[in-house]
Amino acid sequence: MKILVNGIQHEHKGRGTLDMLLNELGAQPDAVAIMVNDQVIPRTDRTAITLKEGDRVEVLSFMGGG
Amino acid sequence: MKCCHLWVGGDLLMNIENSLILGGQKFESRLLVGTGKFSSVDVMLAAITASGAQLVTVALRRFNRERPSDDLLSPLIKLGITLMPNTSGARNAAEAVRAAMLGRELSGSRFVKVEIHPNPHHLMPDPLETYDACKQLAKEGFIVLPYMPADPVLAKRLEDVGCAAVMPLGSAIGSGHGLSTAEMVKLIIADSGIPVIVDAGIRAPSEAAAAMEMGCGAVLVNSAIAAAGDPAAMASAFAMAVKAGSAAWQAGLMAQSGHAVATSPLTSFLAGDQA
Amino acid sequence: MITELPPELDPSSWLSLAHLASESDVRRALSASVPTEADFAALVSPAAEGLLEEMAQRAKRLTETHFGRTISLYAPLYLSDFCPGGCAYCGFAADRNQPRRCLNRDEMLCEFAALKAMGFEEVLLLTGERSPQADFPYLRDSVAAAASHFAAVTVEAFPMTLVEYRELAAAGCVGVTLYQETYDPVQYDVLHRWGPKRDFANRLEAPSRVLEAGIRTVGLGALLGISDPMLDTLALYRHARALRRKYWQSGITISFPRVCPQEGGYQPPFPVDERFLARIIFAFRICMPDVPLNMSTRENAGFRDGIAGVGISKMSIASRTTVGGYGEPTTSPDGQFQINDDRDIETFFAALRSKGLEPVFKNWDRVYNLDQ
Repeated sequence: MKILVNGIQHEHKGRGTLDMLLNELGAQPDAVAIMVNDQVIPRTDRTAITLKEGDRVEVLSFMGGG
Repeated sequence: MKCCHLWVGGDLLMNIENSLILGGQKFESRLLVGTGKFSSVDVMLAAITASGAQLVTVALRRFNRERPSDDLLSPLIKLGITLMPNTSGARNAAEAVRAAMLGRELSGSRFVKVEIHPNPHHLMPDPLETYDACKQLAKEGFIVLPYMPADPVLAKRLEDVGCAAVMPLGSAIGSGHGLSTAEMVKLIIADSGIPVIVDAGIRAPSEAAAAMEMGCGAVLVNSAIAAAGDPAAMASAFAMAVKAGSAAWQAGLMAQSGHAVATSPLTSFLAGDQA
Repeated sequence: MITELPPELDPSSWLSLAHLASESDVRRALSASVPTEADFAALVSPAAEGLLEEMAQRAKRLTETHFGRTISLYAPLYLSDFCPGGCAYCGFAADRNQPRRCLNRDEMLCEFAALKAMGFEEVLLLTGERSPQADFPYLRDSVAAAASHFAAVTVEAFPMTLVEYRELAAAGCVGVTLYQETYDPVQYDVLHRWGPKRDFANRLEAPSRVLEAGIRTVGLGALLGISDPMLDTLALYRHARALRRKYWQSGITISFPRVCPQEGGYQPPFPVDERFLARIIFAFRICMPDVPLNMSTRENAGFRDGIAGVGISKMSIASRTTVGGYGEPTTSPDGQFQINDDRDIETFFAALRSKGLEPVFKNWDRVYNLDQ
């Protein structure tokens, strides 16, 4: 399915679980925070989410900042 | 800031303790460090270690699959320090609250530095959005440290809504103009019931010492360390300066030489009196 | 540690410093740009006695910076001297044998008119402890009556509840003065022999309620001489700081009532002489430069003239401490305390002006504030 990840078109080749998406992106599940369609998804709720066509996903991690 | 119990001649002279207390957590180091603008993650980690900082700010950015090693979470956790996600990038309270939620999710820490600067040039903090964000976040159980203009009234407003400390700017972020807001910071310190932490604009260790000598609870330094020729050495210098300034404040500074102005005596109406 | 005092008020850990401070501690305090509590303790210590002139110079400069070369004026108006209380030091105590009086509405209006004719715009309404003749409704209604005549109406009466203070604010009260008398609970117990004033904690907490109720200013003070003045001065400082920190949108004023030995009357066990009183006033001015400091006519003319503008920023004059007394010549018996400066207004003003000080009756107008 086609979704937006961090503002860029992404072809997701899985069933739409967040774990599979993170795997595709090469992201460590413990090192990122996720929003789907502007909602913060707590780590404990990740398995409850199934992505659908057109969803907007933000994957964030800690970088340097003051 | 409070200090340790001081016993002199068997008499309790003053009631003082040595740690910085934020949101119920004790920190021995009064130097907070930011992680931005370093040339590499390794340089940044070396600087943090040299600084002795126990509370360190980080920013949330989009995960970059091309540069997975930019992620700071695991290296910083290995250092055993407390992470304080900031909300930089947020332009209003709603965005800052969301950034704080994401930061807490990721770090497991309740600390958040509320940083809302809509103008990308001077990066001055928005007082109204900052107040709104802090009010919401304090209710949600965050330990809120707002980056704010050096305004004494705003400082009390933020204290009232539950912030754990206030962080007035010394001068514009990255400007290195030092404590240009010193007079306002002194006013904030005089009436504050929570620690006052100068953030932004500090360029030299002497300025950090000066802030501590004024009675600040801590200082937050980023650019001055990251942009130094030898960041680890500069971080170490800042650590020494903060300790020196803090010790000086506790020890009580010497009187300045009197501004002697010859005027007629004001107390002759009291001379030789016993009423 | 004094267990009856909350930690933010308890001065116990500062008492040693206040007795043992050295001259160099005092000098450091004098030059501190933002004096700390340690500096305050040094400035009231015996070592400061030798630096009194320097303290006065600093106090004068700070008073000028924050208040200009002006003295704010107010008049105390006793509405009633009925009092069920048993305070050992007070002229109105219930066991003092004298006829009591309580102003009725007409008499009050007559007093108001007399005070306005003298120029006063700020009036302080006083009563004793709650009595059937001068209870809360009487006080509230008196405030309402005064509010339509004076720019500022303040009250010095008995501790009230939060609800009562709110009603007082709604009636037009902009300030409440309530002296703790002494912050030492043991001495407090001895001196307040009977009556509602025996409740130490209730009185201590009342200033917080005043500010919580939204009344603009609270006036604090300790009656110097009835107990250890060092303890009371340090506790008073802490009380002012604590209220300021919590009620940062409100005003604090501080007064320095001093009990002097009276012929055949109450003998203060810890007499405070004029030099010590001056030292305390200077210390407050130096450490709280923007807080109005108040002096009544308990002190004599020479002291008042000397201290005006040198720490002190607010004063009463031409006062009566008997009930009423402005509207008609007083044949009343003894007032609450003896007045030692009985000069008339013109004489007092001439004295102030010779020192370069301008007397001011009014500092602000209520029309700017929507909550009145």
